[in-house]
Amino acid sequence: MRRSYLGEFEEVVLLTVAVLGEGAYGVAITDELDRQTGRSVSISAVHAALHRLEEKGMLSSRMGDATAERGGRRKRLFTVTVLGSRTLHDIRATRDQLWGSIAPNALPAISI
Amino acid sequence: MKSAMPPRWAYRLLEWFCAPHLLEEVEGDLQERFERNLLRYGMQSARRQYEREVLSFLRPFALKRQPSEYPQPIFFSPAMLRNYLKIAFRNLARNKAYSAINIIGLSIGLAAAMLIMLYTKDEVSYDRFHRNNPSIYRITSKHLTAAGVLENLQPYTGIFPGPKFHAGVPEITSFVRYQENRKDLKQGTEVKSQTVHFADTSFFSVFTFPLLSGNPKTALKNPQSVVISEEVAEKTFGSTNVLGKTMLFKEKDKFEPYTITGVAKKSPQNSSIKFEVLMPFLVKDEDMAKNQNWFSVFMNTFVILKPNANVKAVEAKMNRVYLADAQESIKEMAEKFNETGRTVYALQPFTDMHLSKDLPASNGLVDESNPTFSYILSGIALFILLIACINFINLTVARSLKRAKEIGVRKVVGGARAQLIIQFLGESFILCFAAFLLGIILIELALPTFNQLANKALALSYLFDTELVAGYFILFIITSLLSGFYPALVLSGYNPVQTLYSRFNLSGKNYLQKSLVVLQFTLASFLIIASLTIYLQFNYLTSKNLGYDDKNLIIIDKSNLKRSEAKLLKEELAKNRDIIDVAPKNGGFWGTVAKINGETQLSFAYETVDETYLPLFKIPVLKGRNFSPDFPSDSSQSVLVNETFVKKAGWKKPIGQLVNFFWSEKPEKYHVIGVVKDHHFEALNREIKPQLFTMKASNPYGKVFIKIKPNTETASLQYIEKTAKKLFPLNPYSYKFLDQENIKRYESEAKWKQMMLFGAILTIFISCIGLFGLATLSAERRTKEIGIRKVLGASVTGIVQLLSTDFLKLVSISFIFAFPAAWYAMQEWLKNYPYRINISIGVFLLTAFISISIAFLTVGWQSLRAAMTNPVKSLKID
Repeated sequence: MRRSYLGEFEEVVLLTVAVLGEGAYGVAITDELDRQTGRSVSISAVHAALHRLEEKGMLSSRMGDATAERGGRRKRLFTVTVLGSRTLHDIRATRDQLWGSIAPNALPAISI
Repeated sequence: MKSAMPPRWAYRLLEWFCAPHLLEEVEGDLQERFERNLLRYGMQSARRQYEREVLSFLRPFALKRQPSEYPQPIFFSPAMLRNYLKIAFRNLARNKAYSAINIIGLSIGLAAAMLIMLYTKDEVSYDRFHRNNPSIYRITSKHLTAAGVLENLQPYTGIFPGPKFHAGVPEITSFVRYQENRKDLKQGTEVKSQTVHFADTSFFSVFTFPLLSGNPKTALKNPQSVVISEEVAEKTFGSTNVLGKTMLFKEKDKFEPYTITGVAKKSPQNSSIKFEVLMPFLVKDEDMAKNQNWFSVFMNTFVILKPNANVKAVEAKMNRVYLADAQESIKEMAEKFNETGRTVYALQPFTDMHLSKDLPASNGLVDESNPTFSYILSGIALFILLIACINFINLTVARSLKRAKEIGVRKVVGGARAQLIIQFLGESFILCFAAFLLGIILIELALPTFNQLANKALALSYLFDTELVAGYFILFIITSLLSGFYPALVLSGYNPVQTLYSRFNLSGKNYLQKSLVVLQFTLASFLIIASLTIYLQFNYLTSKNLGYDDKNLIIIDKSNLKRSEAKLLKEELAKNRDIIDVAPKNGGFWGTVAKINGETQLSFAYETVDETYLPLFKIPVLKGRNFSPDFPSDSSQSVLVNETFVKKAGWKKPIGQLVNFFWSEKPEKYHVIGVVKDHHFEALNREIKPQLFTMKASNPYGKVFIKIKPNTETASLQYIEKTAKKLFPLNPYSYKFLDQENIKRYESEAKWKQMMLFGAILTIFISCIGLFGLATLSAERRTKEIGIRKVLGASVTGIVQLLSTDFLKLVSISFIFAFPAAWYAMQEWLKNYPYRINISIGVFLLTAFISISIAFLTVGWQSLRAAMTNPVKSLKID
């Protein structure tokens, strides 16, 4: 299987889309990212990532309904595709496997 | 609640660069974020953030233009362009009158403007082709009185300044003196008078006149050498390969051979120096020795300065050299003439000379030009072009009502305003381009006449000069924008809803259109007044009584005619019955000075005549008597003076007064024996000057005036020519008629008259075709109204009146502006003439009459047509 690589930011955005479920669109994703990771990103960065993810086939989109608060403009709503979902799962599996392989006390201790 | 708006520019920017298929969501997100920020942080911060966000969208994914799901026509998509072109051509073809008015008007305007650019370019390029520019200067001098008042400013010098300044001022690297004269040239058995220029050997190193053959360094070294121009070589020898051949020029009383040492290429037409025959400038040693030569000025001297020389410093050094060298003669002058003023030498850049008013190119230099001429011509050309553009604006806006529906449809299907503007501007470009091509044809047709009027030799090929082409291109763009921009703006602003329901009308009273019509007619009336005034002044100058009879008078030039020869000629001519009388003369305003009343100095025209001169010209002697053979002493003791002389001298009893000449050879005293009535011996743009007539036996004559019986010209001329050739076989023979010569003095006025007339005709023509177009449209627009009026019993006259009054009012208003302006301008122009007409009220009345009648004819014809249509027809439409 050809593996699709995701950038770190792309991965986070993809995850956020998954978290938001039905209501994933530009601003909502930005806000969620802010809340979950504390990262303040520009809308344009999020749009760029979404655009790339869609090109890679990890996301699909459709135009939503117009809302007054956006000056009558419609939202583009994103959903994770099967490919997107598999990629996320793959990444997670890889990570879990890696975590599992770490010897006890191999990581320097950090106080929480 | 109307939500607060994000910064407009940022919004616009986003709209412009963002890929269309992404725009909606991006805008939406930004708007959403903006509104949240607005609530949280307030307006300023929200706006700033919005701007930052927009700018951060400047990245490849947003800029990438993919086929989008919402196709949006862009400005330069080939399909739309094709559509614009098609619509433009259809529109032009459908409205032939409108297109013709615009194209004709604009092409005349463009042709006029291009012609003047050509003219001006030629004027300012004068003498710039010399490689030594800008280091070439001409020596000028001014004379100041003891009190420091400028008395005389002149561009001429004597033989001294050139060599002395060259020797004494290190910055002057070279000099050349240039003088014009005439010499008799013998070709076979024919003798003709040839214009000859004398120049120093350095001529070809100072000026850039390439030689076809011959060595420029040595061509003028030998005293018996001559350089001729290509044209002269062709004309005389039929070839330019003439090096070493000889030409016979008269020296003293016999013909001497001069060897051709060079053939010069045709001089550029924008050169102030145009020579046919060039000879070495020879100064005899005894001439150089005479200190007086500092004060005898008769030619142009040019110098070359070192490249970074300071002109002011050089001038100061020149004056030091002059004062040191001329000390003695300055003292001598002061004693002899009570002369206490001083002379100051200066330098004039060679390239300034052509358009200089105070220091003109004359005395062997040609084509001196008045810069006012350029200004006025440019003014007229601009007038014409402006009027043509006004036509375009007015007609397009007025006609646009007919296209309102098209505009509405375009808008409804999604045409943006910018697109419409570009479409209409494009149409104006197409029209202008057509006009431009037609304009070039017009220039080709007008060039011969224009060259004749402007005294130029311009050709269409000059148009392909890079600077001019750039100029024309700019002119074309400006004209297109000037005429197209306003209509495009108005048209694109129409409200589609109104236009599509046919409820649209131009709002307001259309003040712009009205003021533009007023402006057009102001310019036209101004030019009509100007040409009328110039015509009247010209008429006055050419028909004014000159104080003498110039009819049936033949002049033959015979330089250095001795008394005995004159007598012989008179006797021979008297044998013919058609010849009434013969009078020789020599004289003019040469700056001759004499002492009056013992001390006062007076300068006057010094005329050598004999007793037949005054009767022949029918100039009355008011007091005293004419010269007479009965008084042998007349030739040595008596003079006649004119009235102005008496006035200037302040004599109560002029007869018997003494005039004291202090010639350098020996002083002479003369008594006044008569006073001659003032007459215009010069052109009428000069005041009558003091004149003195002498019969002094040693003075030779220069001209012979022959009065013949009316209608005997052919026979008389044959006889005169035969006699002259028999008596003076070695002299060139040529004749003129005095009255024709007198009219030639006003050539410049005659040209002005023509130019102004052309200008006036063109402006009035273009204004009127514009008016015609407007009247047509207004009649069309009011077809239904006219129909109803007619049905209700209005008369044809009434309707014509209704339709034309509006326009005639505008034309009348234009007089308010045109009359004072024209009156002032013409008053200023007339100040140049000591003898002039007064601008009468008649000129203004005539102008008003001309303008109103032409305007009425233009508008009235359209109105009449509208008024005559059968109301049944006009009311049935719809």
